[in-house]
Formats: sequence, C-alpha cells, structure tokens
Amino acid sequence: MYFVLVAVLTCLATCHCLNRMDEDENHCGQLKQWLESTSVSVSVDISKKGFHRDLITNIDLSPDVPRGIRVLLVYRWPSGVYVDPYQLASLRDQSDWQILLDSSIDLEVPAHKTLGFVTYVYPNHGDPPPRELKVVIPMHGRYHEPSSQKTFTSVDMQPPELLLQTEKCMQLNSFEPHAIVDAPCTVHNSSMCPWVKVQFQQEHGPVSFQLPVGDGSLVIPVCSGTLLVTIICCVLLSKYTWKHRISL
Amino acid sequence: MDRLISKFTDQRVLFSASFVVRLALVIYGDYQDRTMMVKYTDIDYHVFTDAASFITKGKSPYNRSTYRYTPLLAWLLTPNIYVNKMFGKILFIGCDILSGLLIYKILCLRGLGSETARRVSSLWFLNPLPMGVSSRGNAESILSALVLGTLLCMEGRRLIWAAVLYGLSVHMKIYPVTYALSIALTLRSPETTKENRRGWMRFIVVIGSFINAELLLFASVSGGVLCGLTALCYYIYGWQFLHETYLYHLTRRDIRHNFSPYFYMLYLTADSRWSQWLGLAVFVPQLILLVETSLAFHSDLAFSCFLHTAIFVSFNKVCTSQYFLWYLCLIPLVIPHLSLSLKHGVGLVLLWFAGQGIWLAPAYFLEFEGYNTFLLIWFAGLLFLIINCFILIQIITHYKPKKTPCRLKVE
Repeated sequence: MYFVLVAVLTCLATCHCLNRMDEDENHCGQLKQWLESTSVSVSVDISKKGFHRDLITNIDLSPDVPRGIRVLLVYRWPSGVYVDPYQLASLRDQSDWQILLDSSIDLEVPAHKTLGFVTYVYPNHGDPPPRELKVVIPMHGRYHEPSSQKTFTSVDMQPPELLLQTEKCMQLNSFEPHAIVDAPCTVHNSSMCPWVKVQFQQEHGPVSFQLPVGDGSLVIPVCSGTLLVTIICCVLLSKYTWKHRISL
Repeated sequence: MDRLISKFTDQRVLFSASFVVRLALVIYGDYQDRTMMVKYTDIDYHVFTDAASFITKGKSPYNRSTYRYTPLLAWLLTPNIYVNKMFGKILFIGCDILSGLLIYKILCLRGLGSETARRVSSLWFLNPLPMGVSSRGNAESILSALVLGTLLCMEGRRLIWAAVLYGLSVHMKIYPVTYALSIALTLRSPETTKENRRGWMRFIVVIGSFINAELLLFASVSGGVLCGLTALCYYIYGWQFLHETYLYHLTRRDIRHNFSPYFYMLYLTADSRWSQWLGLAVFVPQLILLVETSLAFHSDLAFSCFLHTAIFVSFNKVCTSQYFLWYLCLIPLVIPHLSLSLKHGVGLVLLWFAGQGIWLAPAYFLEFEGYNTFLLIWFAGLLFLIINCFILIQIITHYKPKKTPCRLKVE
C-alpha cells in the first residue's frame, strides 16, 4: 500500500519537475529569441551645468519586450562624481526607479582621494517593460586636485550595463554572446540572482563633462596674498581694539 | 507715525506677531516642500530627523552620515518621528522667540527703558534672517537662546544658572568656548590696591585675583555640566561621538568653496607637506584677537562676546552663511551703545550685504554654471574679510560702554 503511494507521489513530483523544466525552457527560450531579434541601445547624456548635474540614461528595447522580464542597470561611477544617497532617498516618491549603492559614500572628499563606486538601478516598469526607458539620476562633481596645466578637468561617464532577467527562467546557460553575471535580485539586496548581461552596440560611447579645477601654479601668490591680507586685518583690528579698550 | 510704531512694538503685539509670522512660514514651507521642486526645508533638518529616527530604533544618530552634532539634539527631536515631523521646526521657532525675549530682558537689565528695549529687540523679532533660518529647520536658534540665556544670567549675577547654560552651550557647539577668558576676567576679584607693583609680585597678584569663590563656582559648575554631558554621550556612543561632534570641526579639511579668506589657500595646499602647519597657522590671528578682545572689553561681557563671535567667524578656516547667525543675535545688545548715525549704520549694513553679494556671484557661477571662478572667489573672500574688519573697527571706535559698569543686583 505504502509502496503504491510512494510510487504515485514520486511520479507526480517528477511530472511536476519536468513540467517546470519545460516552462523554464519555454521562458528562457522566449528571452533568448527576443535577445536574438532585438537591437538594444543604451545611451547616456548629461544635463545642467557646474557641479550639480543630471545623468540621463535612455534605453531602447525594441521590438516589444516579452512579459516577465525585469531590467537592471549597473552604473560604474568614476571617482570624480558622487551621488547623494539622502537626496536619492528624498526623491524616491517622485522617481520611477530605485537605487542600491555598493558602498557608503563620502560626500566631501576630493576626487583624487577616493575610488569610484557601483550602483544598481531598478526601473519600476510595468509588465512587459515599455520599449523606451528613461532614468534621470542627480549627481554631483567632486573637487579635483589643483593643476598647473589645465583649468578644467574632464569626467567621463560610461553608459550603464544592461542586465535582464525573467523570474521564471533560472537556467541561464547558452546565452552566447551575452554573459551571465550575478547581481542583487532586488533593491533590498537580500539575495543574488543570475542576470543576462546584454551586449549592445555602443552608438555614442561615454559622455564627459568638465569641472573647474584650482590653479596649482598660483600656490605662492595665493598663500602670500592671503597671509598678507589676514595679517594686516589682524594688526589693524588689534590696534583699534587696544586703543579703545574699556579700562576700569 | 510714532504712535503706530509704538503700538506695533507693544510687548504682546510684537511677541505674538513675530510668532505668527514664523508659524506661517513653517506652514508655507510645508506647502512648498510638497508642491515645488525647490524645497523650503533646510537639508540639515532632514539630517536631524534621520538621526532622530535612528535613535527611536535604538541605534546611534551617527549612523546618519554628516550628522555632526551632539546626540542631545537628536534626542530632542525624537517627537519628529513619534508625533509630527513639524515638531522640530516649532521647537526652533520657539527658541527663536525666546532669544528675542532674552534680548529684551538683557537690554532692560543693561539700563534701557522698556520702550527702547522693545524697539531694539524688534530688530531680532522682525528680522527676516532668523525667521527664515529657524522656520527652514536650522537648529542655530537653540544655541542663540543658550548663549543669550548665559549672558542674561551673568548680567543678573545668577552664576549657577549662567554656568549651567554656558556648559550646555559649549556642549552643543564649540564656539562659545572662546567666551571663557572674558567670563573669567569679569568674575575675578577686583584689584583692591592701586600700588604699582613690579615684576613677579604683580604677576602673583593677577593670578591670585583669579582664585575666588565666584570664579571657582562658575568653572566647576560649567565644567561639570560640559564634562558630564560629554562623558555621558561618550559612554553611550563612544569615539564616534567625540570625532563627529568635536574633533571633526577642529581637523576639518573641507576644501570646497566657502566664505573663509583661507579657502583657496587651503584648497591649493591640501596635499602639500606644510598643509598641516598652515592649518595651525591660520588659528594664530584668531587666537591673538580673541585674547586681546577679552582683555580689552571683558568688563562689558555682551560686547566682548559679540566681538569674539564676529572675529571667530570672520577669521575661521571654514565659514558658511549660517555662522553669521551666531553673532547676529548679539548685535541688538550692542546697537544701543553705538554712537553711529542712522545713515552710517545703514551704510555699514549695506556694505556687509554687498560683501556677501560680491562673494555669492562668482560662487554661483562656479557651482551652478561651471565657470572657473576660483580666483574671483578668493578675491571676494579676502574682500569680505576686509569689509568685516572695517565694520568691526567702526563698531569698536563708536562704542560707548554702558554707563553703569557696576554690577546690578536684581531679583
């Protein structure tokens, strides 16, 4: 009796597994097929001037994306800029994406004394994702080391990596030429998932913007000027203070 | 016209009007925050609130990066999380009004008629600068209330209260520590004999004059409050508290542009071998002037504190516009003693604003337009220092010390 029950259950379980694998392959096949036919493009652009800028990313996913696909953008930020986690938190209600940072960010340190960092951006798209996605992230330039040769320094921003995943396709193999990489499954960073890193044509390449830097050749005049003025001010103030002191 | 002014500066009308205006600003600020891209609320207010929220979760307020204040402030603002996020702003405007009241009381104690005292204190009550700052959620008004409270208690010779408030204010922000020498000089025993002692005898007499009951009482109470609070916070939050609240400000190496005359020099030399020495050298003018003003004006404590704060801010390594508030609350105590004509006074105020404007223009073009205006900002910073010193010299030369330097005994 028990033997029959175990046999039936085993059979059911196997069927279910086979079914799941079928489904998996079905979803994976869908993603694979779409990746073969698609011409994904990702471009970045920078708006505003000065130290406070917006990095605008446009993603074109045509033709229509199949259902069940999730998009993740991985930005590798250079040391010349930073994003302010608290500003991003305050924008959470208004923005249609969520962001995860790989490390804590020092908002005050100059560019040459820090390293770049990585952020994971999860656009809050519907299902299926729209053909065109746009993400605008506010960023801030860091102060740079003074230079004697140039008055501006250039900061290069690479387009983000585009990662895709379908919740139901867990068997991510044979997605050549696209690589499989591990990245946090969600913005809560509770677990890692395999994602398909999509190779796309770089139509525009990196964008860059200029930040002013201090003139290193002026060290001597600036130091002597500053000290001269402060000493004169100090001496004059001191003279009048003593002259008009209140004696008891 | 005169009756209208006197009606407007009637005590109750003045206090309630200034409270209502501040409250209206808080409510408007909430509206602007919800509807517009440019926010009314100061970024610091979000820092305080985030820190308070860490406290409510049983964590350290220093988990919030850029929280560089005493944990007392975050504790004080926990109702922001439990009750309403507006609580802190109401507290700040409350302290703002309290500062105005304290100014009024001090002026009365310093021998001004209540009518004149009201008019002068309305320079604080109806001043758009403190109004804007406290309603935007900046905590400076707590400190101005503490500093003014210390001065009121000193004027009224309530030494224990003065010492408690002084200890508390130094715990909240370090700058009032510069008042210590002036306070010590006011409390030392008066020299009884006018004999012309020479050499080390005179030195002993001077040192001896510092050893008296009042001074020891003040020093032990204020020192006790300061050390007690600091030890308590250190016990709870450890090294991070000391570093973020005090040491960070002493060793601060923020090279980004600010009003300080030293900004460009410190930026250009940040990586050089002698940057450490330059960092220390810039304290020298501050130190000389602070000691000298203590010696010269200690008999008029309010004036001495005003000069201290103004000198400390003007000659500081880092100076942002919120630092100006530190001495702004002391100006109404000085104004009645100035023999400046109205025209002259207004001219000085305009000059001060012009100095800021000249700095703000290149700073705007650097920060928001991306022009390389470092050199202009440097010039403007030096010019602002010159203007500040010029104004201070004008104030010093036109200051008529209060007529009754004898200590008033009040109930």
